[in-house]
Amino acid sequence: MWDKVLTGFGYWDVYSWLAFFLIAGGMIFFLRSFGRKDYKQGTDQDEIFFGSNPVPEDGEDLKVPASSAYWGYTQALKPFYEGLVGLHTGIATDYAGWYILVTALVALLILV
Amino acid sequence: MNWQEHLPALLLAVPLFGAFIAPLTVLGGKGLRNAWFLFVSLVFTVVAFLLWARVGAAGPIIYVMGGQGWNFALPSGMSIPVRILMEVDAFSAFMVLLSAVAAFAGALFSINYMERFSGVEKFVSLYFLMIAGMFGMEITGDFFNFFVFLEISSVASFGLVAFWRDRGEALEAAFKYMLVSTLGAMMVLVAVAFLYSRYNVVNMAALGKVIEWGMVEKTALVLFLTALAMKCGAVPMHMWMPDAYAEAPAGVTCALIAVSQASLYGLFRVCFTIYGTFMGSPIIPWVIIVLGVLSMFIGVSMAVIQKEVGRLIAYHSVSQVGYMLLGFGVGLLALGDARAMADYGFTALKGGVFHIVNYTMYKGLLFLAAGALYYATGSRNLNDMGGLGRQLPKTMVLFMIAAAAIAGLPPFNGFVSKLLIYESSFAVHPILAVFAMVTSVLTLASFVKIFQTAFLGPELKKFKAVREVPGSMLAGMTVLAVAILVLSLFPTWSLNHLVEPAAKALVDQASYIGAVFATAATGGGL
Repeated sequence: MWDKVLTGFGYWDVYSWLAFFLIAGGMIFFLRSFGRKDYKQGTDQDEIFFGSNPVPEDGEDLKVPASSAYWGYTQALKPFYEGLVGLHTGIATDYAGWYILVTALVALLILV
Repeated sequence: MNWQEHLPALLLAVPLFGAFIAPLTVLGGKGLRNAWFLFVSLVFTVVAFLLWARVGAAGPIIYVMGGQGWNFALPSGMSIPVRILMEVDAFSAFMVLLSAVAAFAGALFSINYMERFSGVEKFVSLYFLMIAGMFGMEITGDFFNFFVFLEISSVASFGLVAFWRDRGEALEAAFKYMLVSTLGAMMVLVAVAFLYSRYNVVNMAALGKVIEWGMVEKTALVLFLTALAMKCGAVPMHMWMPDAYAEAPAGVTCALIAVSQASLYGLFRVCFTIYGTFMGSPIIPWVIIVLGVLSMFIGVSMAVIQKEVGRLIAYHSVSQVGYMLLGFGVGLLALGDARAMADYGFTALKGGVFHIVNYTMYKGLLFLAAGALYYATGSRNLNDMGGLGRQLPKTMVLFMIAAAAIAGLPPFNGFVSKLLIYESSFAVHPILAVFAMVTSVLTLASFVKIFQTAFLGPELKKFKAVREVPGSMLAGMTVLAVAILVLSLFPTWSLNHLVEPAAKALVDQASYIGAVFATAATGGGL
């Protein structure tokens, strides 16, 4: 029950990982304990730095929307994504068409 | 007489009875309906657990309906089984157990989740019908009944996907799902007809005993393969899946995960138990491997760019099914070659089987967490969300557990099954492992995206009034989170008691066939 999982090529030991996270967590709390405790809450000292601009009251004006996530990745792979999204037409007959096409291809491979 | 001998029948009877009684619970009000929903779900989960334990202790169970006795597989001196026969081996029992857990969690979650809507007794009825069909697919011993149960679960799930019929998108998703699913089911029926016309039997064990590798058998295999691969969402036949999964109520999607796994079960039962070593060509294993790689990579690539939380997670379902297809494809490739099976084939199968249970648990939890976000905010669009970790701390923690597990972050269970698949597929060709690992990286990227945009960030004024979701929804999610933690913290136990017996049963064609024909001697059939 507590053994390692042997994969035939290597192994997986969850308890080593747990020990690692415990040690890492302990180190994080240790380093955190060096932080200054004399800052004044509610003053400029705990204000968010927002490029020297006043911080908007509503978080809506601050947040990064999901559609902006991985912008660089999607821009770099734009041709790939244009093709991929283009295949997902949302048309029901296309769905059936893909199924028939795959069936025909597999049949061709196995029967001929 | 030991009542536990009738567990296979009970497994079907309980949800069916639950479905037929559910509309009557409207007479007793919401309380009675919810109590019935919970009670029946709990009973079939207990039955599933007992069945799994019994098969683990006593080996495959045969159960015959409509015969002289429940244990007479070959009545009246017949040489082939002709009745409605259930055969539960370790692989079936494993599938039944995890399906039951997912269905129970989905039911528990739905009690509060569906309380804002009318007609919930019809929802409960359809839910139980879908579960009965799913269990039937997993324990039936003959192909015609497999088709019947496939249709029962499909038709019920069409209704459930379209349950919010005021939403045009839900109706459209249900229609598309119905179109491709019915086409696939017809092909399954045609495949069964091909085999019946050739061998005069539809019983799986009897077919496995006599099947040869001819034109009819090849045609039937192609039809089975593509229809069942489509039902479990393999690329490029996956497009119905994001539509249906995103539009169905969250509790239903959690159970739909298990239903799609029942199709995957059917595919592997056909490939390993019926055709098995008689499959005289490596083309089919390679087709499964290619479908797996395509599903992994295309699924996750599409997931990364989604803005709607349900669709993002649904594309990940396509990707995760790819891992399983890859694992089982590699296992099928090694079937018949004892050395290859010992070197990497059985490891791949264990990875595939382990990934089935992992996927069902964490994907179910992710869909429930997506449902909780929708319940709390009224939005499915990630662009509208932000800072919800303050209002939904428990949902956030449960989501984090599932997201870390699916991304394969140590020490969670997702990594164990992926490791087995990486290493065994590497032995076939390194490029397979490369695709699997790139998929894993993109999986982590897309769940970081949900976590960051929905739960982190500044507090939004419009969500100040949002409160943590109700108890039954948290309880449904907790059931799956506990399962994930158990699988993560006790991987050796999980492999030894859950995964290995199922993987061994899958490759042990002789035992599956022998269990039916042995009852001729012990059950008095002849």
